Order: sequence, then C-alpha cells, then structure tokens
Amino acid sequence: MLLSAESVTKRFGGIRAVDDLTLTVEKGELVGLIGPNGSGKTTLINLMSGALVPDGGHVRIDGISMSGKAPHVFARSGVGRTFQIPRLFRRMSVLENLITPALALKRTYSRVEAEHKAHQVLAFLRLTHVAALEARALSGGQQKLLELGRALMLEPRLLLLDEPFAGVHPKLLDQVAERIEELSRTGYAIVLVDHNLDAVRGLVRRLVVMARGRTIADGAPDEVLRSVDVIEAYTGR
Amino acid sequence: MALRAKPAISWLVAIAVMAALPHWLNAYWLHILATSWYYAILAVSWALLAGFAGQFSFAHMAFAAIGGYTSGLLAVDLHLPVPLGILCGVASAALVGAAIGWLCLRLRGPYLSLFTLAFALILQLIIIAEYQFTRGSLGLSVPGLFGGNSDLPYYYAGFVLVLASLAIMGALLRSRVGLFLRALREDEDAAEASAIDTSYYRILVFTITSAFAGLAGGYYGHYVGILSPNIVTIPEMGLVVAMAVVGGIENLPGAAIGAIFVFVASEALRSGGQLRFVALGLVIMLTQRFAQNGLVVLAAARLARATRRRAPSPKTATG
Repeated sequence: MLLSAESVTKRFGGIRAVDDLTLTVEKGELVGLIGPNGSGKTTLINLMSGALVPDGGHVRIDGISMSGKAPHVFARSGVGRTFQIPRLFRRMSVLENLITPALALKRTYSRVEAEHKAHQVLAFLRLTHVAALEARALSGGQQKLLELGRALMLEPRLLLLDEPFAGVHPKLLDQVAERIEELSRTGYAIVLVDHNLDAVRGLVRRLVVMARGRTIADGAPDEVLRSVDVIEAYTGR
Repeated sequence: MALRAKPAISWLVAIAVMAALPHWLNAYWLHILATSWYYAILAVSWALLAGFAGQFSFAHMAFAAIGGYTSGLLAVDLHLPVPLGILCGVASAALVGAAIGWLCLRLRGPYLSLFTLAFALILQLIIIAEYQFTRGSLGLSVPGLFGGNSDLPYYYAGFVLVLASLAIMGALLRSRVGLFLRALREDEDAAEASAIDTSYYRILVFTITSAFAGLAGGYYGHYVGILSPNIVTIPEMGLVVAMAVVGGIENLPGAAIGAIFVFVASEALRSGGQLRFVALGLVIMLTQRFAQNGLVVLAAARLARATRRRAPSPKTATG
C-alpha cells in the first residue's frame, strides 16, 4: 500500500471535519473521492499532504508514519497535490513555476536539466506556447493544468487533485480529463476529489463517498452510486 | 551578445563615474555620499527581505545597531582591530537575525511587522538603559576604520561594500535560493507543497539580510565615530523603507540608487527645513501610486524604450 490514512480525525472547534476515517491508496490506483460540500474532502487531502496535522490517527507513506511532518516532506516522499483554487507562483513565469519544485526536490539537478524536464511537462499539458508568460496571465483552465504540471515536476507516486475540473472552461474540460487518464495509465496513483459526480464517475475505477467527515461508501462507481446512503447524502432524503 | 554586453557596460560606466566622483566633490558632499553607502546597504538588504522574500520586517535598523555596537564595544573595551570587530558585528547580527527568523516562523504579514517593530523598540530601550556599557543616549565613541581625518578612504571602502553586497545578494537571487524565496513570497503553502522547506528559507533570508544590516552598522559606526540609540528609531526605519520603495523594492540596484537619491535629496533640500520631508513624502506617495516597481525601474524602462525607438536594433542582434 502506497498511502494510508488510519482512523484520522481533524476537529475545527466543535466540528469534526474528518471523523475517524480510514482510507488506503494502492500503487497506480485512480480513486475518485466525492461528497457534498462540507463533507471533509479537502480536509482529508490536506491531512494526506501534510498541510494539516491530524488530531488523532496516522497518515503513512509506504508504511512509515508521517505524523507531524511538514508538507515539503510529504512532497519529497512522493506526494504531489493541487489546490481547489489554483495556488500558483503568480508573478513567476510558467517555466519558473515548473522548475522550482524540481530544483527543490533534487539538489543535484541543474537548472538546465530542470528546464528540459519542464519543457517535457509543458508539451504533455499542451502549454508550451505560454512557457514565458507570468502564471497570473493564464486562463482558469490553464492555471489548473499548470498546477498539475507543478505537481508532476516532483516525480510523485501519488497525485492528490482537489477539484481539477472546477472553474475550467468547457472546451478545456476534456483536455484536463484526458491528461488525468493518461497519467493513470502510466502508473501514477491518483486521488481525484470533486463534488461533481458526473465528472468523476467516468474516469475512476474506485469511488469513495464522504459525508460528515466519514466514508459512507467505497467500491466500484456503479455499485457505490446505487447505495442508499449515497443517495441520502446527496439528496438529503 | 551585444544585448548581453549592455548591462555590463552600464555597470562599468557607473562604477567608473562613482570612483572618479570624489575629484569634483567638496568635503561636505563627500561625507554625504560616504554616509549614503550605509543606507544603500540597508535598503538593498531590506529589499531582498521584503521585496523578494515577502518578509516585511521592521527590525532591520536593530540589526544595524547590533552590528555597530558589537563592533564598537569590541574595539573600545577589548581593543580588537576594527575589521575583526566589524566581522564579529556581522556574525552577531546574523545570529540574532536567525533567532528572530525562527521566532517569526508562524507569523505572517502585519503580525510579523508588529513583532519585529516591538523587537527594535526593545533593543533601543536596552541600549538607552544599559548606559554603563553603551553610554546610553550620550552615544558610544568608537575608533575609526582608517587613520586621519579624510572621508575619502571611507567613501571608497563604503562603495566597495555596496558593490560587494549587491554582487553577493544578486548572485543569491540568481541561484535556486532566489527562486525559492520568490516562491515563498508568492504563496507559502504552495511553496511547501512544491518540496520547499519554507521554514529553513525564511530563517536563511532573515540571517543573511541581518548580516548585511550588521555590516552596514559596523561601517557606519566606525565612519562617523559615534553610535547612539537614534539609529534604531522608527523614522530611521521608515527612511530605509522609503529608499527601497522609491528605488524599487524588487530591484536590488534600484534600492541602492533609491537610497542614495533619497539621502542626497534630503540633504540638498536642507534649506527647506521641514518642508523637505513633505516633498519626500509626496515623492513616496506618487511612487506608490504610479510606479509600484520604483522610480529607478521606471526610468530604466523609459530609457530602454527611448533608445530602442531612436536606434532600431538590426535583425542580427536577436538572431
């Protein structure tokens, strides 16, 4: 198992955003994580990437506890992530956004090597034509792709993608989905978070549904979406 | 090739002009310029800290005081050679800078500014209160770096220190560390997610810039021959911020030029009394409103555009 969250709990004041939740991700797996707004999906991603420290339970990578470790340690252990609202280095060029994580990851990497790798990632994401632009000049969809590229520069084994389709122009939606599918085929483990069922169900082979900080279903998409609990969570009935 | 050579030529011309300038200056203006080197090092290092790394600290003058007083006290009480004392001042400013950087790790924006401001005020009070060591408000007389009464050696020594500071900090910014610092300024969480140990780099930038502030303090103390708690005052810190803002907070040579410009202008307008501060205040307000990148960057961009218009570059220049 690549990453496991074991009985993790995170409280904000009196609210349990994540409540005694257990989730494992295997190597090369593409997992969809869905749930209504406020169900704790982003909190779970933050716990799995070190941005938040759990109040209870453990997050392990390759069986090693990551308790109390900073996010950069998670990143160096092979966890790449994107944010719900893209958080780019806005006044740095697209190319600089990409070479920064590569240079932070490997001290032996030269700038030329990092730029060579960045150009490969830009070609993969169809962003070569904007390489010299400042990141803030990109459209919403291009910013999502650039953030994905920045995570890929870490040579991750697990990608945590927080709502990669949100705010993306319909014309770019297919491109984002295609890139994610291709990454999955090449062996990346991916956790794909979205509250939009339709965007996720066609892509993933395993679907995890969260509600009120807990998992209420975990399995094949069609099976999960027939579950009474899931229907109740989404419709409130 | 020709395009690459241009900045180098500009630098060489600027250095040659500044090196020859004392021949045309009287003693008063030589003193003003030699003093402005002190502010230039402070403005450049503060620009690195605030403009590039996004850490808006108001403790910069406190580090200058630590450098100056450490060096001065070692020279006065232990009769240590002045250059060695300055090095000890740099080291102690760096050490305290690292400690302050560590203490400020969890502080952002205005909280960081308030914390560092409080530190500076505490240090000022300590200097005043511990008069048996520091001579308090009377000021500590310290020996000069050079013998004799001429300001000329100080002019050249200060000029070399400014150039060395620009070269070292410029090299740092061009390295991967510069990239990480800018990433840290843009978004600390995203920088962490990109494998950057932001705590380490925040402490590092505090340490380095405090060391340069300590160097400036050491140079200043051994130049003017007296150190007083006045160097840690809020108006002094405000002056350094204004110098960096007018010159260009995200441009190190710009911050240095801004420091010299503001200091020389405030002296040139001395006959205007308090009105000169009104004029300087207006310049800062207008800079903030119309040229956030600083007047030097704006002027350089205008100059480059005018040069291009006058002499369109041949096709071979880019090919």
